[in-house]
Amino acid sequence: MKFFEYLLKIDRRIIYIVMGVLVIIPLVKPLGLGVSSGPRAKTLFDAVDSIPAGKTLLLSVDFDPSSMPELYPMLAALMRHAFAKDVKVLLCGLWVTGAGLADKAVTEIPPEYGKKYGDDVVYLGWKAGIDAVILGMGENIRNVFPTDYYGHPLESLAMMQSVQRLRDIPMAVAISAGTPGYTDWLNFAQSRYGLKLGAGVTAVSAADAYPYLQTGQLTGLLAGMKGGAEYEVLIQKNEYSKAYMPAVAAMDSQSLAHVVILLLVIIGNVAYFATRKRGA
Amino acid sequence: MHVSTDILTWTAVILTLGIFSFLWKDNPFYKFCEHLFVGVSLGYFISLTWYNAVYPDLFRPLFVQPLSEVSLGNKLLLIIPLLLGLCYFCRFIPRVSWLVRFPMAFVLGWGAGVTIPAVFQTSIIKQMQGTFLTPGIFARWDVFLWAIVSFVGVICSVFYFFFSREHKGALKLASETGIVFLMVGFGASFGYTVMARMSLLIGRFQFLLRDWLGMIR
Amino acid sequence: MKRTIPLAIVLIMGITMMVQFFVPHPVSVGFYDLTTKWIRIVGAFALVLGTGSFIMFHSDKVRRRRQGWYYSIVSLIALVVTAVIGLGWGIRPGSILQNVIYASVLVPLNATMFAILAFYMASAAYRAFRARTREAALLLVAAFVVMLGMVPVGAAIWGKLPELAEWVLSVPNMAAKRAIIFGVALGGIATSLKVILGIERGWLGGGKQ
Repeated sequence: MKFFEYLLKIDRRIIYIVMGVLVIIPLVKPLGLGVSSGPRAKTLFDAVDSIPAGKTLLLSVDFDPSSMPELYPMLAALMRHAFAKDVKVLLCGLWVTGAGLADKAVTEIPPEYGKKYGDDVVYLGWKAGIDAVILGMGENIRNVFPTDYYGHPLESLAMMQSVQRLRDIPMAVAISAGTPGYTDWLNFAQSRYGLKLGAGVTAVSAADAYPYLQTGQLTGLLAGMKGGAEYEVLIQKNEYSKAYMPAVAAMDSQSLAHVVILLLVIIGNVAYFATRKRGA
Repeated sequence: MHVSTDILTWTAVILTLGIFSFLWKDNPFYKFCEHLFVGVSLGYFISLTWYNAVYPDLFRPLFVQPLSEVSLGNKLLLIIPLLLGLCYFCRFIPRVSWLVRFPMAFVLGWGAGVTIPAVFQTSIIKQMQGTFLTPGIFARWDVFLWAIVSFVGVICSVFYFFFSREHKGALKLASETGIVFLMVGFGASFGYTVMARMSLLIGRFQFLLRDWLGMIR
Repeated sequence: MKRTIPLAIVLIMGITMMVQFFVPHPVSVGFYDLTTKWIRIVGAFALVLGTGSFIMFHSDKVRRRRQGWYYSIVSLIALVVTAVIGLGWGIRPGSILQNVIYASVLVPLNATMFAILAFYMASAAYRAFRARTREAALLLVAAFVVMLGMVPVGAAIWGKLPELAEWVLSVPNMAAKRAIIFGVALGGIATSLKVILGIERGWLGGGKQ
């Protein structure tokens, strides 16, 4: 019994150290568990895959650096998929602190496929207003973004000649860390303008997205870092990309972390009930 | 192992470790990092708001672009949102602080008006359509079974939140069934939340091990 | 007048935008375009409120030498320096704001703030997550299924675990979340209607004015 009482009183910093070490080890020495893709990621992959060459995929970068490990790999994988299929990519954002991350993606990824800014990819930037931004884009993108993030007038960008409003875009994927995010795109872009919408979300809000998947309002879902890893695996399997897969590399750590949490809950409960029984 | 010599990487590492130091205990280094974060975030927000919103949407068409590019009528119309926006500054002048109600009223009224039909369509109509049992559910026995279970789950969970009557009899049975579904839903959310938090930590460790220490590719 | 006119603005704008949703006439669409543009501009000015409150709070703390007042100086200096650099030297890629302040200060601070939550989760899992009731036990079982089923180790433990996790998410979880969506949506619509009709007046603020 004393053992269980000791367990209950263990210093939290010891738990932190154990957690930290067990997360670091698989990053340095991978366990090789492998990643397989789930049905939701496959649905989104197939939808993006079916966009005809020359058409545009809209990616809404609705996250900030706090969600970068979960959502940036999704953004990168989606862009790689689009470029491999010669689909143009249009980016915008509803989170001000996500602007730098979208800019990073636009700088790093297009050169891998020989894609040029203005012809194959455009980043519109961030605007205040959330629903006003989405509704404005539904009528005329130039009314909302007269210039792109870098100050170029939209008329001067070749890609934007055929994209005037949301109805000119076959599909959008909202990569969201919360609000504003995919629910705003659902409420204002999908319901009003019929925009086909997929979502990439942090794992925290993934469970909340399932009602929209069931009704077909969302076409596919990437949930957390695992969702990013699934998409990375899909684009590698289909030979759309040979790039480093950061989300896949993190999955061994993720697995071990989950096992650790599970064991902590079980040990905590065993110790609690054992000491409680004794107390009774 | 190849430790980075880039000063910006070292700056990021020191600030990262500063925040992590809170895990041991609260300390002046952590407090410094925390207050630095708040100030930098707001400064960044101000900069982007000016260059991405205020300058291109208001300042440039109103004061910079000539009449050949923006008509006088459009320029005059822009004075209305300018005046409404300037009313926000009145919040800090006690005698006229009531003027802040004007832009707030405009934004609230507009927001409420566009939101009501949109939310009704997305979250009520479409979700009700998804709940209804349609002929398609008879395609396979398992599709049929899970459709019935989902239907019962939605109805019973909604009944759990009905507090206008005491939960007795049939309502109590429905409510208790709803609790089962709600607990499973919250458990699923918790499971995913664990995944989210761990992912963020793994991302930080990837930065430290890859960009700083060069221990992983 | 100080309360009546704002209430009238809310009523007129609210009803107009609700009706506009169903009217495709060019005048209606033109009004919609115009007000959407105005909202983006007015929305940007709302930053003034946050910035002003921030400066007032921290200045007051420094002036009165409250506990931790020197950290408020850090916040104020950080705000001023970042805003001056951003407004003065621009926000384009390659600028000091993006290359130095965003990439080397904002990103690590923001990311690490949320990363430490993982440790708190581990500690809470050990100390607080107790299956004291049947409902709590059910919650924990569902959590375990999803936690393991959604990562590669779950498939390694039991091949059917990912399918079971997907079922938990697609059937009972979906049903519960849909019920919550109904409640939240109806509550939001009710609150919006109360604001439009002037029943909910908390946003006007207190005071004699």
